[in-house]
Amino acid sequence: MIYGDKNLGVIVQNITGKQGTFHTELMNAYAREVGGRGVVAGVAPGKAGREVHGVPVYNTVREALREHDATASVIFVPGGAAGDAIMEAAHAGIELAVVITEHIPVHDAMKAIAYAKLHDCTVIGPNCPGLLSPGECKLGIMPAHLATRGNVGVVSRSGTLTYEVVDELTRAGIGQSTVVGIGGDPVIGQTFVDVLARFEEDPQTKAVVVIGEVGGNLEEEGVRSTDLPVVTYIAGVSAPPEKRMGHAGAIIEGGEGDARSKVRRLRDQNIPVASRPSEIPGLIREVL
Amino acid sequence: MKLLEYEAKRVFAEYGIPVPKGVVIRAPAEVAAHLPDLGDGVVLKAQVDVGGRGKAGGVLFADTKTAVETARDLFSREIKGVPVREILAEERLPIEHEYYVSIAVDRSSRQPVVLFADAGGVEIERMAEEDESAVRRVFVSPLLTDIPPFLMRELLGGAPKELAPVINSLYHVFQGKDAMLAEINPLVTTARGVYAADAKLIVDDNALARQGITVNRDLSEREREAEKHGFSYVELDGTIGVIGNGAGLTMSTLDLIEFYNGRAANFLDVGGGADQERVMHAVKLVASMPGVNVIVVNLLGGITRCDEVAKGIIAAGVAPTVIVRMAGTNEEEGRRLLAGCGYRMLESMDAAVKAAMEVAE
Repeated sequence: MIYGDKNLGVIVQNITGKQGTFHTELMNAYAREVGGRGVVAGVAPGKAGREVHGVPVYNTVREALREHDATASVIFVPGGAAGDAIMEAAHAGIELAVVITEHIPVHDAMKAIAYAKLHDCTVIGPNCPGLLSPGECKLGIMPAHLATRGNVGVVSRSGTLTYEVVDELTRAGIGQSTVVGIGGDPVIGQTFVDVLARFEEDPQTKAVVVIGEVGGNLEEEGVRSTDLPVVTYIAGVSAPPEKRMGHAGAIIEGGEGDARSKVRRLRDQNIPVASRPSEIPGLIREVL
Repeated sequence: MKLLEYEAKRVFAEYGIPVPKGVVIRAPAEVAAHLPDLGDGVVLKAQVDVGGRGKAGGVLFADTKTAVETARDLFSREIKGVPVREILAEERLPIEHEYYVSIAVDRSSRQPVVLFADAGGVEIERMAEEDESAVRRVFVSPLLTDIPPFLMRELLGGAPKELAPVINSLYHVFQGKDAMLAEINPLVTTARGVYAADAKLIVDDNALARQGITVNRDLSEREREAEKHGFSYVELDGTIGVIGNGAGLTMSTLDLIEFYNGRAANFLDVGGGADQERVMHAVKLVASMPGVNVIVVNLLGGITRCDEVAKGIIAAGVAPTVIVRMAGTNEEEGRRLLAGCGYRMLESMDAAVKAAMEVAE
């Protein structure tokens, strides 16, 4: 596992919102199942003293950390305020911020990620499903029942496509060490390079599935940076240029980042590229 | 969203960047009244959102005598298929030298990147390809509100120092206007000083509201309608309708259609936690596209519940065949509801797309 284990203490920012409340319960259900600590406190300005599914709520991250031992935060704060929430977490001493929020302005994301770095806070996301280490911990919104413990890492820019791939792997009897959704925005905290570096340090992980999308060239950068066996899949081979395919980051700009040339560059480096998700388990077996 | 040149120039002027004297006209005769202001030489620039506008005949030069006739000519043209409705008529600058400058978001370093070249007016991508050293670049921490002098010196190299305040003002535009790209090509020097002869500004779609922009012009009417319902939607030119949840999974479904040599009609991501109502609107929207005779629904239930999706599909009650692949939360109930109404539900993405191909043919 990477980023954290059973003993990770977690807070949720905007725990009183619809998504925050719902996923706090799911994260804690998973923590109970695997015997982990899970979400120990929540933050919602002006709502101190309340409880959400038995989890106490505080006005600020600093107040929550004064009463509870936690190093990670899962952020559900909406778009315009999410950048501020990341900086608040970093400033208060949170070491790992997982940002689920979508529609964060890019300039807010750039500033918050730079600020977090000054405070040694690692940011995953924004616009991501979070991470799941089967049998250890879940931070975010991934459906845990699809996953099973094993030695293949998964890192992806997508949400549901990641679940699809995890489901394919599990059905094929291939377990996962950690599944990380790094987010679909143009500017994200942890990139493929960062996550692959962690997988490389992780004794449990023997191979990695890299799931990319049209837009940018972070997939190639990541794959070049690691010595681990890697299998890739790039979504958006049929995407037209200049059209945003759902994710703000999934856009081919100025001729850069189209999926076909990504696939070609990966194959040129002798990296196996699946043409469709169902080919991934077979390719993983070949590299394991 | 991309601003038109004259809109971008208004923004630049607010931030103290000198722009040529100019006026927007919507009919040829309008230019006459402004000629005394603009001087002997005028430039007429079609306000259309297309790349390579100059080469496509969208920029014409004229003098006092020919201005109205030249404007009439330009209004009658289509620039890469886009009709000309507005023209920016500007004074013709006595240009000494042209430079290139732009500021964009660099994904890899997660910072603004400033690009500068000693030759402007040309396509920067091509220039960088031909000679990497012709384009200089510096990265600026997003926490800084100005480009520090040491980086500015590195950026300019031997270019005139007078460009520095303009480039710094462009950085203020970039930050203040939530820009994905702010570009001046060419940035020109004249005996009267430095000017932004052209202007390009793309505003982050996630920041339109706080920038006071209420309508995203980059979207078609159907795409705006889709946005209202919370969908991401893109129209393509095939025959197989596609509805998915999550951008990656939906894109992957389109790719799979192409893999089996089919053509998708659209991209529609219903978003997370779609309920019956939203799914119904999605199915109706895709069914309303001409030429669609089959729709593939590919959903992976996490927050989204399969029974809600099934109810939405049934409620839409549309003519094209709907083929469904769902997995996850409340899958059994969804399957039971669909089967009761005669819909086909398949186990995998591959099987669903193959079934759709058969109907499409």
